[in-house]
Amino acid sequence: MLPAEPMEQHLARLRRAIATSGDALVDEARSLALGVADVDAALGGGLPCAALHELSATAPIHLGAAAGFALTLAALAPKARHVLWIATDFGVLETGSLYGPGLDQIGLPSERLLMVRVARPIDALFAAEEALKCRALSTVVAELNGETDLTATRRLGLAAREGGALGILLHHKVSDAPSAAFTRWQIASCQSVPDEFGGLGCTAFHLSLTRNRRGPCGAWTLTWNHHERIFSALPVGVAAAAADGPDREALSA
Amino acid sequence: MVIAAPVKGALRLSAVNDAAAALGLRVGMALADACAMHPKIAVADADEHADRQLLEAIANWCDRYTPLVGLDPPHGLLLDVTGCAHLFGGEAALAGDVVRRLDAQGYQARVAAADTVGCAWAVARFGESLLQRGRVVGEADRVGIVPSGETLNAISPLPLAALRLPPDTIAALAQVGLKLIADVLDRPRAPLAARFGAEFVRRLDQALGRDDEPIAPRLPIPAAIAEQRFADPIALERDVLSTIEKLAEKLGLLLERRGEGARLLQAALFRTDGKVFRIEVGTSEPLRDPARIRHLFADRLGVIGDEVDPGFGYDMVRLAALVTERSEPAQTGLAQPDHAAELAHLIDRLGARFGLHRVTRFVEQDTHIPEFAVMAVAATHFRNGGFSAQCALQQDSLAPTRPIRLFARPEPVEAVAEVPDGPPVQFTWRRMRHVVAHAEGPERIAMEWWRDAAGVALTRDYFRVESREGVRVWLYREGLVRSGEPTRWFLHGVFA
Repeated sequence: MLPAEPMEQHLARLRRAIATSGDALVDEARSLALGVADVDAALGGGLPCAALHELSATAPIHLGAAAGFALTLAALAPKARHVLWIATDFGVLETGSLYGPGLDQIGLPSERLLMVRVARPIDALFAAEEALKCRALSTVVAELNGETDLTATRRLGLAAREGGALGILLHHKVSDAPSAAFTRWQIASCQSVPDEFGGLGCTAFHLSLTRNRRGPCGAWTLTWNHHERIFSALPVGVAAAAADGPDREALSA
Repeated sequence: MVIAAPVKGALRLSAVNDAAAALGLRVGMALADACAMHPKIAVADADEHADRQLLEAIANWCDRYTPLVGLDPPHGLLLDVTGCAHLFGGEAALAGDVVRRLDAQGYQARVAAADTVGCAWAVARFGESLLQRGRVVGEADRVGIVPSGETLNAISPLPLAALRLPPDTIAALAQVGLKLIADVLDRPRAPLAARFGAEFVRRLDQALGRDDEPIAPRLPIPAAIAEQRFADPIALERDVLSTIEKLAEKLGLLLERRGEGARLLQAALFRTDGKVFRIEVGTSEPLRDPARIRHLFADRLGVIGDEVDPGFGYDMVRLAALVTERSEPAQTGLAQPDHAAELAHLIDRLGARFGLHRVTRFVEQDTHIPEFAVMAVAATHFRNGGFSAQCALQQDSLAPTRPIRLFARPEPVEAVAEVPDGPPVQFTWRRMRHVVAHAEGPERIAMEWWRDAAGVALTRDYFRVESREGVRVWLYREGLVRSGEPTRWFLHGVFA
């Protein structure tokens, strides 16, 4: 026989245990640190989860980089849960569909990915709102080639807060429309630092944070090491040198 | 008013209305004769397709009585009411209900219920005399109920035409003086079969119940159904959804007893004027939860809402589980929320709204041709992700070797290479010129020889290319480089 612990005390103890374990879960999901001191400092510790973020490509040609950055964020988000990618039919025709082996390599295992294709941008917003409310997802990415208004972004933000998922709106072009997103980013591809044989280096992004509710804006150049799955800052001078460097010699060598 | 249709090269009357019948016009009469007798009759061409559609619409409506409705063209319907009749207060009451409701819609129907399909068919078409003689029980002159076990008595005084025989068989029988079913019942069967064909004996046996005759149902028979009738029709979407939720509770109990859950659900809305809407939703895992079922239908109605016009309202709603699957009760944790169930519900809801085929996940395929290496399949069809990263992609490169996006159709680009089989130094894609800063390759990907049925080998030399602006793309040169032939370049994917 167990020592007779009063039922109330026992229950209270269990409740405390459950409450603390719940807190731990929430804490883990609260902020997504990119692992680069400058950026994390500007973001106040990392990209807040349970909020909406807008990424846009500075030009259509840089859409690959913008999508890649969204994927790396999804790769960094809590591992156990799924990622939902919402795209419109037109968007898929225009930019191609996601490719499983490539996602595996960049760090997002494709068994964690669900995709929805919708006919109209408004459907994408509906799907995003429903998905953000679902607690089983870590990241929801909605790819849009139209504008979103304040109401839509505010609704998505609220849904993200309810569900706890990282909400990402991936715009095909930079928009000046008012937005309730927590952060807004403009992304461009950046030439990588080649390896010693002239081959392609780690994937590099030019990021510029144009809106940040928690702190200052800024611009950085980050590289994503997909082997280690970490970001690191690229010293600005190095990237510039590579851009006009002796690449032709490197090729022919 | 008469309907005329070509029969053996001549236009004959295929249907006449009451007024025409009163004038002495009969089905089967030549149109020319009829016009000669009564030049003022209105003639319309028969439209078999429309007749069939109407019959199917009525069959749809008859679904309210039993899920097992069979078509008997050109103008009959067969309903298997075994085990359903008591819900309507017995066979007679059911038949009366059919006649009254069809009357209200403007259709004249004759209904007969009997032990066998053949007997009911005969009584429905030739039963007037029986009703008068009291051999069958019926409340109106258009309803005939043959009590169980009375089949022989009921059909014996009917003409042989009631046996669903071809006209020439009936004519042949008439020639030898056989006119009523009673005339052939006692005769030896072998000579009858020899003279009039096996079909004749089979039809006789079917009418008497000696031979089996199943009714082929038009629609799949659901595993479980629950339905609700309304004295006052309902028209509001909210009411319909609440009804569906209530029905889902009942259905859930039925399914729970069997340890099953629904994978495909159908809600049938029976409009008062006879139109029936059927709305189907699929699920990604066996489902019983009423609230979730309601959500799914709400989403589905949100999309097709315009097509479902309630008109004067629905007087019956039925929820059926068309496909069910075994569902093991799962132990859910106390501390953490049940992510798997929530995810399944999200997939179902998005599927209900956009179509289940639009919610996909990747499944690896056993090939190294890039565009076929993974396939996006409906998430509902493939529940347990068993994806393993390909080892073949382990190449000695700092950058990823496969793009994050792939074009379904590789896009032709103009590219210039320094040497014919070397990497490109510049390329023009979507009317933009890019100067190549770095390139890795070639990586030759060729068709598997066992798939090479046409004898045209697919050979591609892939290059991972980075432009001066930092744009990284996956280019390939098609075919082998031969002197004098232009090389063709394509852009297949985009890297991050």
